[in-house]
Amino acid sequence: MTPNKKTTLAVSTLALLAWSGAALAETTVDFTVAEYSSKTGPYFEEVAAAFEAENPDIDINIEVVPWDTLLQRLTTDIAGGAAPDISIIGTRWLLDFAEQGIAEPVDDYLTPEFKDTFIDTFMAPSVIDGQIMGLPVAASARAMLINKDLYAEAGATPPTTWDELYEASKKISEETDAFGFGLQGKEIETDAYFYYSLWTHGGDILKEDGTSGLDTPAALEALTLYKKMLDEGLTQPSPTNYSREDLFNLFKQGQVGAVFTFPMLIPQIQAEAPDLNYEVMEFPVATTKATYGVTDTLMMFADSDVKEEAWKFIEFAYKDEWRTKFDRGEGFLPVTKGVAAEDYYTTDKDIAGFAAGLPHAKFAPTIANWEEIADVTVRAVQKVYLDQATPESALTEAAEQINSIRGK
Amino acid sequence: MKSLDGMKPLLMILPGLALAMFIIGYPIYDLGFTSLQEVSRFGKLLGFVGFDNFREVFSDPLFWASLNRTVIWTVTVVLSTLIISLPIALILNDDFYGRGLARVIIMLPWAVSLTMTAVVWRWALNGRAGLLNATLMNMGLIDEPIEWLAEAQLAFTVEILVGILVSIPFTTTIFLGGLSSLPRDSYEASMVDGATRWDQFRHITLPLMKPFINIAIVLNVIYVFNSLPIIWVMTEGGPANGTDILVTYLYKLAFRFGQLGEAAAISLIMFGFLLLFTIIYVALVMRGERQTDTIEEDE
Repeated sequence: MTPNKKTTLAVSTLALLAWSGAALAETTVDFTVAEYSSKTGPYFEEVAAAFEAENPDIDINIEVVPWDTLLQRLTTDIAGGAAPDISIIGTRWLLDFAEQGIAEPVDDYLTPEFKDTFIDTFMAPSVIDGQIMGLPVAASARAMLINKDLYAEAGATPPTTWDELYEASKKISEETDAFGFGLQGKEIETDAYFYYSLWTHGGDILKEDGTSGLDTPAALEALTLYKKMLDEGLTQPSPTNYSREDLFNLFKQGQVGAVFTFPMLIPQIQAEAPDLNYEVMEFPVATTKATYGVTDTLMMFADSDVKEEAWKFIEFAYKDEWRTKFDRGEGFLPVTKGVAAEDYYTTDKDIAGFAAGLPHAKFAPTIANWEEIADVTVRAVQKVYLDQATPESALTEAAEQINSIRGK
Repeated sequence: MKSLDGMKPLLMILPGLALAMFIIGYPIYDLGFTSLQEVSRFGKLLGFVGFDNFREVFSDPLFWASLNRTVIWTVTVVLSTLIISLPIALILNDDFYGRGLARVIIMLPWAVSLTMTAVVWRWALNGRAGLLNATLMNMGLIDEPIEWLAEAQLAFTVEILVGILVSIPFTTTIFLGGLSSLPRDSYEASMVDGATRWDQFRHITLPLMKPFINIAIVLNVIYVFNSLPIIWVMTEGGPANGTDILVTYLYKLAFRFGQLGEAAAISLIMFGFLLLFTIIYVALVMRGERQTDTIEEDE
């Protein structure tokens, strides 16, 4: 009989707990979190627990979803009427969410003091038609990594301009077994690898009037330079067989002198190639200093019934103590001024190297059909690497296609 | 009473038929409906647009290039698979020492998921770190690493070869099943008449195997035509869309570009293609059988 009694007791206790839990936590805020690493889930659970301790009447329900399936997941949730209250999303999706009336403008919630905690550069991509549609939640910038040993072996000086990078790459390709410069040619962000050159040559993805910036002299110069370096053997051969990860592997193996990359490569190098003697540098410049800034956005859903509570949690989660933990844990650059001022972000030479580019960071434009436009750009770049088209004809054709996608 | 007896079999398969019609029919109805709508990237239907999605698909040069490549992909993979699988099945059907092991080895690729096979090949074919180049260079066959997947034509050829490799086990199994059902006495009789092994193959095995070859063709065409993993994992249809077949292009349209309406239109076109192929093929086969039957009766 004892076990039965025990069970009954346990069940009634559970029921009581559940009941009292329900009585205390009157509102539940559903929060969909994108999984950056294995640390993401536990981190947000910790924030939620701390918040719930202060606000016993609000229950934060965290759901961690991998990046690969996030958009598809949100799409199904929205279509099925089961959308969360807040979610982390890629900023490039924000326009679609805003246009369909799924995202809630946050201007009314955002107090001037809270707004002032953000670095303005990172706020900009979330502004659509003058309304702030979300808050920056994670940011990274790109930079160049050079292999110092290869540079020393070839007697080359670390480059700050494209001319210097060209000369240095030539030396490395001639003097060592390695290639001077790693060129990405396939899959995700192949277009970004071209934008790095485009921006530093003074071009941009879109012109002032909203038409494609690929048919400009700057774009032609940028792509011609890549093609020239490829033809002269300064890059690894056949870039169209090298994805971003393939390129990083070449760099870790010491087979290329320089690559363009994101901060998340640093922990990889420390784990897989601890002896690699590298330095983080800003992108080489032709006419303009630039880097690629990438942000993710914390978005509130227009259909949410608990916006006040959700916002309370958001303000809590943006306190410096939590932001520091998040940014350092995931290897991101700070989006708030408080965290950016910390010593770590100015003294750690790797992080400082990436953060240095921030003042002149460029962002992917928030425009409709962005993925398709990126794909057109990738195709143009690949055709040039494969000798199927000259830089001029490939870029002109791509610009025409992009303009027709944009309806310009 | 007679007519009711005639209806009985039909009545008995009715529940199964209805279920099948529902399972197959509803998605097709849904596809057809979606393909006539403007669809947001979140799957919301924004209104009827008639045949706009189809018009856009047909005016897209990438669609025609993908269609063209789909035909090449399907025909070469299926034909080569058949040509290779038949002798393999014949050999494996003979009794020899270690036949069990040989059968296992041939079937093994089947046990691995297509995606995994493709991932392994992608690694093996990597230019600088890949196993294939390393092996070839160690054997002194090449001096410089070959970038197998860098250029569309070579990449597509390699993908076709992988496609053949993964289709062999299934096809061989069908053939083995067919071979084991062939009557032994026909062979014994032909041996008495002094037939060579080639004669036996030409006049006994091949004609008797015809139904199995036909089913292998139809099933393989359907599988290969719709096969996404190999090409998607190895090249994602690139470089410069040079290895895109319809199904990879469709996947990009739907899940990258969010153009669900156009993607639905292409799905429908692909379904139409396969349906048409199957109907024509089955009709041809049935007519062929009827003709042979009449000839035999005439004799």
